[in-house]
Amino acid sequence: MALKEVLTPQDLSKIANLQVLARLVVEGFTSGLHRSPQKGFSVEFKQHRQYSHGDEIRHLDWKLYGKTDKFFIREYEEETNLRATILLDQSGSMNYAGDRKGAMTKAAYGTRLAACLAYLMLQQRDSVGLVTFDSKVRRYIPPRSRPGHLRVLMDEMQATEPGGETELGKVFHELVPKLHRRGLLIIISDLFSSVPDLMSALAHFRHARHEIIVFQIWDRDELEFPFRQWTKFLDMEVHGRDFMVDPAILRQAYLEQLATFREDLRQGCHRHFIDMTPMTTDEPYAAGLASYLASRRRR
Amino acid sequence: MPFTFLNLLMLGGAAAFSIPVIIHLFNRSRFRVVPWGAMHLLEPVLRKNRKRVRIEQLILLLLRAMIPVLLALAMARPVMTGWTALAGGAKTALAIVLDDSYSMEAGGMSRSHFAQAREATVAIVRSLPRGSQVHVLRMGGSLRPLSDEPSFNTSRIAEELAKTQPGFGSADVPAALEVITADLAGMDLSKRDLVIASDFQRINWDDDGAALRKELFQGIKQLPVPPSITFLRVGQPVKDNIAVEELSFSRTALGVNQKLRVHATLRNFGQGLYPDLRVYFRVDGQERTVTQISVPPGESQQVLFTHVFDRAGSHVIEVYAEADPLKADNSMMASIPVWDRLPVLLVDGAPSTDPLRGETDFLRIAMQPFMAGNVPLADLIDAKIIEPGLLNDAALAEARVVVLANVPQLAASQVEQLRQYVTQGGSVIIAPGDSANVAWYNAELFADGNGLLPGKLMGLGGDLQDEKAGARIVQQHFDHAALEMFNDPRNGNLSEAQIKLWFHLEEPAVTPGQARDPNQAVTIARLDNGDPFLMEKKLGEGLILQLSVPLDADWSNLPLRPFYLPLTQQLVTYAASKVYPSRNVEVGQTLAAFFPPGGAGKTVTLTDPQARKSDLAMVERATHSVAEYRDTAMPGLYTMDAGEAGGVVYFVVNTSRRESDLDVLTDEQLRAQAQAVGADVARNWEEYRELDRNRRFGREVWKWFFIGVLGLLFGELVLQQWFAKRRL
Repeated sequence: MALKEVLTPQDLSKIANLQVLARLVVEGFTSGLHRSPQKGFSVEFKQHRQYSHGDEIRHLDWKLYGKTDKFFIREYEEETNLRATILLDQSGSMNYAGDRKGAMTKAAYGTRLAACLAYLMLQQRDSVGLVTFDSKVRRYIPPRSRPGHLRVLMDEMQATEPGGETELGKVFHELVPKLHRRGLLIIISDLFSSVPDLMSALAHFRHARHEIIVFQIWDRDELEFPFRQWTKFLDMEVHGRDFMVDPAILRQAYLEQLATFREDLRQGCHRHFIDMTPMTTDEPYAAGLASYLASRRRR
Repeated sequence: MPFTFLNLLMLGGAAAFSIPVIIHLFNRSRFRVVPWGAMHLLEPVLRKNRKRVRIEQLILLLLRAMIPVLLALAMARPVMTGWTALAGGAKTALAIVLDDSYSMEAGGMSRSHFAQAREATVAIVRSLPRGSQVHVLRMGGSLRPLSDEPSFNTSRIAEELAKTQPGFGSADVPAALEVITADLAGMDLSKRDLVIASDFQRINWDDDGAALRKELFQGIKQLPVPPSITFLRVGQPVKDNIAVEELSFSRTALGVNQKLRVHATLRNFGQGLYPDLRVYFRVDGQERTVTQISVPPGESQQVLFTHVFDRAGSHVIEVYAEADPLKADNSMMASIPVWDRLPVLLVDGAPSTDPLRGETDFLRIAMQPFMAGNVPLADLIDAKIIEPGLLNDAALAEARVVVLANVPQLAASQVEQLRQYVTQGGSVIIAPGDSANVAWYNAELFADGNGLLPGKLMGLGGDLQDEKAGARIVQQHFDHAALEMFNDPRNGNLSEAQIKLWFHLEEPAVTPGQARDPNQAVTIARLDNGDPFLMEKKLGEGLILQLSVPLDADWSNLPLRPFYLPLTQQLVTYAASKVYPSRNVEVGQTLAAFFPPGGAGKTVTLTDPQARKSDLAMVERATHSVAEYRDTAMPGLYTMDAGEAGGVVYFVVNTSRRESDLDVLTDEQLRAQAQAVGADVARNWEEYRELDRNRRFGREVWKWFFIGVLGLLFGELVLQQWFAKRRL
């Protein structure tokens, strides 16, 4: 039986140490898989081909030229491992957990998902970086592939507390010049932002030839709006802003608005060839890992 | 106030309207606080719906607040009073117009319409508060109150009412309304009700009479104490009805061994075809002939029956159709007096030995055509010719009719005997001619209008030599019984005769606006120059007919025309029968029978159509004894049995067959008529009770409030769903 099927996020949330958690989840998840075909390849020779005009001279095989008196270019397997950067949303809205028993915040869920992904990737000797942000970039840790880098990432994740407004568009635009090498961007966020701004920013990433996987984190309350009695909704991102409403009356309208929002996101992502995986905080992380691996396989 | 409440305390429950408001406010005060991330989803929804949600909430709140209010109103049992003071259990003066016409016997296998009306009205009378006053007017045939005056003894009236029977003649609604208006005005109590219990046949409640009825109802409404009016409609429409509509006879006077031809007209008032309708002909209760006919819906068929009576006296014939359950109009009867012979005395003023030159030669042939033609058939009339000098009491005693044919003049004693003969019930036909002593006629017979002669002789008209100066009888529509057979052209055309010479007859002056003296002479037929041709005058019990021309061929070609025979026979039989009271009368008319003199003090047993017997006392009048009976509201056969004093006399009381048309007003039409005169409609006792309760105590309307509550509950649910959908 796979570990992921045994350990729910609620169980795992009891494990304080992110490393242990990541290991449990990832090993549980991968125990039934074939080994990755990408695993272990490095600077190995692949083949020769004839020189053609414009090839870099430094890739000429001079020894072969000595033997054959012809110019051949040495070709290698791709040298670079995957450069993945996890963009972890730490805005105020990620702090929502509802009042269900044992529920965790979206931020906590996102952090754990990020940890699992980081662990998995480092296990595969890919480079992993981390960006935490709310309305601006809080911290940027560039991708590294050495095993000790995991600890750095974990420490940063644990040290970050959510808060502040979300302005994904602005933040992502700021990030583009910083992530100058193309790679895989894993965005873990509730994407509570203007859809056109967000799409513009993601298009910017795509223009910079980044692969993007989006994990949209939802709380079950946000999807079902289960409130019945009169409720004062306090804005988690703007202090002092609140609305007093009878949620039963507004529920249908809210769900409609929600459906529109999700549909806009889905279509936007599809347009930019972005994999978007919606997740709720009561779901296992496995869906996230599977989505990542599918994306990895395509590369 | 148009409303009052039977359970006023329950109105306090209306305060419960505050409950939804309190719940609303309470809910708002007990809110929960949720820190919310997805504000960018919630805010546009709020922005878009805030105003509408507020209005919708207000509407829902209003609905929810109204529910307890309406519930409280329903439980307080509101009563609609229509701005009038309620009578409550006050004593009532109730007038009932009960339709007991024969159409009320309809109703088929179930109870008859009359039984339903009787049951309902009895229940209404029994339900009256103690001390109430009742008056019942039956309107079938003639108007007959159940009691002489309004009675406070309601239980006795109820008992009497329970015994009433239908089968009377046509209902006369306007007359009934007129009488009941006077009756209502004479009643004592301050709460008055008028109930009209009927099947509301279209012929009695048609549009033509609507204006008159409205006026009469207006009169009722304008009484010092106007009554509440109720149309109590009973029964269901009946689709099938066959009626014997009319009987007509070949002759008005019938002798022994003469053939009577009876034409019976049967009409199908219903909607179904009667393909094999059996029609029976009965004489004196014995079935004589049966025939089978087919009567399509809405059409009439005639059936011919013949009969020869072998015995003189009073007889009854009946045509009976074996048809629908409404028996009253399935048969029609007629009383036929059969004479042994009709002795007629012809006084010939200008006899002749030449054939057909005598004054009465043509007349005699016309009186006894079978004998003249050597035909072995019986002549009713037994004509005897005498000279004027032989006219005396002895001759008169044997004759039923005396004809003075061109008699020059009579002795004073003869005039006196003749006068007495007429006064005591004899009939005289006077036809003066060239032999007549005009001065004597005017002085002795006319006697300034007090004598036997209807019209004074005023000289001659026309010229025997000049045909152009002649005149003809006007062939008009004759209302008079003596000539009405000539309304049918098959019986001859009176205008065919050419009158060369005639007497101008003086007609009595008519004063406009003054009632005519019944004994004054009247003109029955005229010549085309306006002169009278035939005049009639009543004197005592008898009558006199006067022609302006003689009955021979000297002055006219009358005897040579085909109508001469029927005309003279008709005049003689009319004169003979007219002096006897008719035995076929309409409902409400008096039955009278003449018996031989000396019957004073004797009794006659009368049997009415319901086989009830009563004794009538004979009274002596002039030359005979008379028995009379007035209560003829019910059509049918009445029998007077005088035993040895005069035998049995049959009377038939007929009624108009209008009632046979059983088409009734539809419910909508009845309601419209009721509305037009401010009346209510009830179909039975239960509905009347409800109506009366509403009038007395107001109309309870809690049901409507309760329905309102249910409606609001449902509406609240629907609105809530609808509002939710609209917010999408």
